[in-house]
This record gives sequence, structure tokens and C-alpha cells, in this order.
Amino acid sequence: MHYQGESCTASRSIGSDPMERLTKLASESAVVIFSVSSCCMCHAVKRLFCGMGVNPAVYELDQDPRGKEMERALMRLLGNSQAVPVVFIGGKLIGSMDRVMASHINGTLVPLLKEAGALWL
Amino acid sequence: MANHRVGETGLTESRPPNHHHHHNIPYAVLHGMNVPTSFIHQEGSAFGFGELEEAIVLQGVNIRNDEAKAPLFRPAATLEMFPSWPIRFQQTPRGSSKSGGESTDSGSAVNTICSKTENQLEPESPISTKNTTPLDHQQEMASDFSRTGTSQNQPVAKLPQEKRRGSTSEKQLDAKTLRRLAQNREAARKSRLRKKAYVQQLESSRIKLTQLEQDLQRSRSQGFFLGGSAGAVGNISSGAAIFDMEYSRWLEDDQRHMSELRTGLNAHLSDSDLRIIVDTYISHYDEIFRLKVVAAKADVFHLITGMWTTPAERCFLWMGGFRPSELIKMLISQLDPLTEQQVMGIYSLQHSSQQAEEALTQGLEQLQQSLTDTIAGGPVIDGMQQMAVALGKLANLEGFVRQADNLRQQTLHQLSRILTVRQAARCFLMIGEYYGHLRALSSLWVSRPRESMMSDDHSCQTTTDLQMVQPSQIHFSDF
Repeated sequence: MHYQGESCTASRSIGSDPMERLTKLASESAVVIFSVSSCCMCHAVKRLFCGMGVNPAVYELDQDPRGKEMERALMRLLGNSQAVPVVFIGGKLIGSMDRVMASHINGTLVPLLKEAGALWL
Repeated sequence: MANHRVGETGLTESRPPNHHHHHNIPYAVLHGMNVPTSFIHQEGSAFGFGELEEAIVLQGVNIRNDEAKAPLFRPAATLEMFPSWPIRFQQTPRGSSKSGGESTDSGSAVNTICSKTENQLEPESPISTKNTTPLDHQQEMASDFSRTGTSQNQPVAKLPQEKRRGSTSEKQLDAKTLRRLAQNREAARKSRLRKKAYVQQLESSRIKLTQLEQDLQRSRSQGFFLGGSAGAVGNISSGAAIFDMEYSRWLEDDQRHMSELRTGLNAHLSDSDLRIIVDTYISHYDEIFRLKVVAAKADVFHLITGMWTTPAERCFLWMGGFRPSELIKMLISQLDPLTEQQVMGIYSLQHSSQQAEEALTQGLEQLQQSLTDTIAGGPVIDGMQQMAVALGKLANLEGFVRQADNLRQQTLHQLSRILTVRQAARCFLMIGEYYGHLRALSSLWVSRPRESMMSDDHSCQTTTDLQMVQPSQIHFSDF
């Protein structure tokens, strides 16, 4: 798990559109989790991937200066009152915890991870 | 879960008539029969002061009146209007003081009756409201006190006697006697009024009772839960009570679905027909998960503590329900024969559900840790703020229970995808029966005879507990 914080200067050069920023960040790693450091469900989703042997990139939006607007963008994207956690795999939006778990149970998560290069046999 | 059935109160007619509390109330009144009011409100002037009240006081109370052994007076015809009331009261003299009488409250009817110092029975109804009459009694008693020479054994009532006395010796109609007679008449009148008020109170209560019973019947048949009685059932929240009710209805439906599965399997229906039954069963489960979403929002602790399920099920409770990997473990051995692909699918399902369960458990642990940090010791800078933060964290519980239920639902769906139709039908039947056995186990457990609860003369105390249980309490579903 590697955390991206304010030190990532590349993010500041992108336009002010939070959605653009989210998309950019999501495509930079095989597995990307947008999270809030105090959120326990985010902790659960992180544990899930680590338990599977995956090394996701985690962005703590409460530690990002533009985190608030990104959270709002995520809420709009998901149509949810809960912005986080949100998972992207291979740049593609998977969704919140319930979608992640559903895809893990129905067996579609692991192939996606393998496809994105996040998991090797 | 029959235990949570709310409808079973003692108000229904199914309860065997147990009237030993009420055998002094006229049978007709008790059972709401149409009693002609004239029957009740008959103000026989021969029914004098104190008789009715004594009878009222004696409702269901066995009087051991060793002390007050005045001669028993039975004005025969007049008392037939309350045929079921025991004629156990005794005529008492009014001349003596009512020392303990006035001060005692309605609850101590026996005490007043058995008061030893005088032969006077407490003429106050235990139920009717009295404001002025005790005072009247006091005054009457005071005036009685002031009288001297009055016989201790003057019977309290009434016209027949008074007439009798009056006719036998005219010379006794002196001022004192006249005054006493007048007082008697006055007291009798007051007594009649009190009786009337009391009976009216009884009647209105009876009407209210039948109305309540009707309401209860109606709402039970409609499947609603009376808001008032919801609050009365211990300290269960209304959201929890509603869910309990819906869950017990779901259990009834479950029985029905299971017998459909059973007959479908035994009848060797075609796969497409069986598929319909299986899909219906899956939707049946989807329904309980939907209900749990609502319940989690209303009262997450009710779900998390497992108070909606039986004790044995609670034993295995994980985040407000069953643990999916445990269920699969239970099923694996019974689902033979499986193709290799199916075996792999089942094991992979078990593995992924274990991982998901572990992730949720760790998330919940972090929530607990965070909550502890918020409310545990240390310097309290702002107590209210602390509590507000803690409340916010506690609200996350709902999310975890929802995710756990989501996991359960996904597991069941995936099972039905991996298995063939017949296998799925057998599988769901097994699940239903498993939980049915757990519930039956809970019933047995709850009703088992325990040492601490046995009286001394009870012979069986130890190991043969299971044999002690009545067979009727065991209701295993037939295989």
C-alpha cells in the first residue's frame, strides 16, 4: 500500500476539475483507493486488498488540500452520500465497498486484478 | 420465532377461562353479555347500607373472619341479583368504632375486614373513588360514639328489620332511635350511589376492554403493531419491534417455501419448474435482507446483539447475522456429488467470503478502537463534543451490518449460480432445516429443567434433562 500525499506535485499541474484529477490519479496505479483516514469502512477495504496480496495506492482525501472537492465529485459520481471508500482497478471505477465485495464473491474481482497486473497467481 | 410474537396476549378467548379472580363479579358482566341495566342498577331499598360494599370488598378474597362472628343475616330474595357472589359477609353492628377502617387504603381490604377490635366490616369499596364518604362515616361514627347504651349487636340494615323493630315496640322510637334510623337511611342512600358509580365504572371498563380486544384482533390480522403496546413490551424500540414482527412472518413464509422445495424435489419436477421454486426462495431471502436494511437504520443494536434471533443462533452470530463461510462449511459435506468445477467454485466462494468477513471484522475493530479512544479517560476538554464525535462514530455500525448482510446475500446468490437447480433446491432446503434445528434447540434449551429452579421435592435433577422435555415442544421439520 503506498500513500500519495501533498508531495505529489504532478497533481497540482492538472486543471482544477476534481473529476479530472480523480481520473488521472486512478489511472496511475493498478489499484487505487480513495479514502479518508478516519473512515473505518475505508480501513476494511484496505484490509481486504492487502489480505489478497494486492498493493493498492491509497489517497487520503482528508489529507489532500483539494480533498473536499474531490469527495464531492465522488459523491456525484456514485450517487451516494458516502464519498469513500471508492476503488478503481486498472483505471476503471469499481465502486464502493458493497460493489467490491459483491464482485469478490461472484468471482469477478480476482480476474480484474490479474488483468490490471495487481495480482499474480 | 414464536417468542417474539407479539399477538399472543392474555386477552384472547383461547386462554382457558380462569375466573377465580372474578367469580364475584356477575358472570354476565364479566363476559360482556348483554345485561339489562335494570338488573344491575336495581336499587332495592331492602338492599341496605354496607351489604353491597361488603360483597364488593370480598371479591375473590377469602375472608377468614374468626373475629367478626356476628350472626349471618340473609335477606334472601334481595341478594339473588348477585347469585355468584359469596354470601360470606356478615352483618355487623354499627355501634362500634371503625378504628382502622377509614385510614386503610383499598389494597388492604383483607386487613380492614379482619380488624380485630370491632365487628364492623369495612364498608368501603376497594375500587371506587371516595372523597366525601369517609368523612361522612367519621361523622356518623362520632355521633355513634356519643350515643351510649346502644346495643353492640344492632344489625346494620335496614328496612325489614327496622320495620320489624318499629312494629314490635313503639316505645323504643325515641329521639335517638329516630336519629339513628335517619342516619342509616342516609348511609344506605350514599351506599347505593356508590354502588351505582362503581358498577358504571365496571361497565365502562368492560366496554373499553372489548374494544381493545377487537383492536388487537384487527391489527394482528392486518399484521400491524400497536404503537402503544410496542412501548409496553419491555424496552424494545419500535423499529426493533416492527422488525421482530416482520421476521416472524418471514419465518412462517420460510416454512411454506421449504415445504414447496421439498414437494418439488420429491415430485421430480422438471428443471425449469424447479428453477421457479428456487428463484422464489432466493427472493424470499432477498426480502429479509431488505427488511434488515430498514431495521439497521432504525435500531442497529437490535440486529447486532442478535435479540431478533434465538439464543442458539445468537451463539453463532457475526455482525448481526450468519457467517457466510460457516454456512458454506456446513453445506460442503452435504452437497455431494459435485463436479470438479463446482468443487472449485464452492471452495473459492468459501475463501473469498472468509477474506471479506476478515476485512469487515478488522474494519469493525478499528471502529471500536476509535470509539474507545474517543470516550475513554484522559482530559475531558469538551464532554459534549466528545459525545457528539462518539455518536458519529457509532453511526458507522449501520454501515457494517449492511455490508455484512450484503455479503450474506451475495453468497446465497453465488451458491445458486454454482449449483444445478436440483442441487440448489437441496442446498436451500438444508439451510432452512439447519436454522430450524437451531431454533428448535433454542426452544429446548430455554425450557429445559434446571437444578436451581427445582423445588426440593422434585426428584429428577441432573442428567436426564432432555428426557424431561415434553415431546410436543420438539418440532423438527419432517425430512
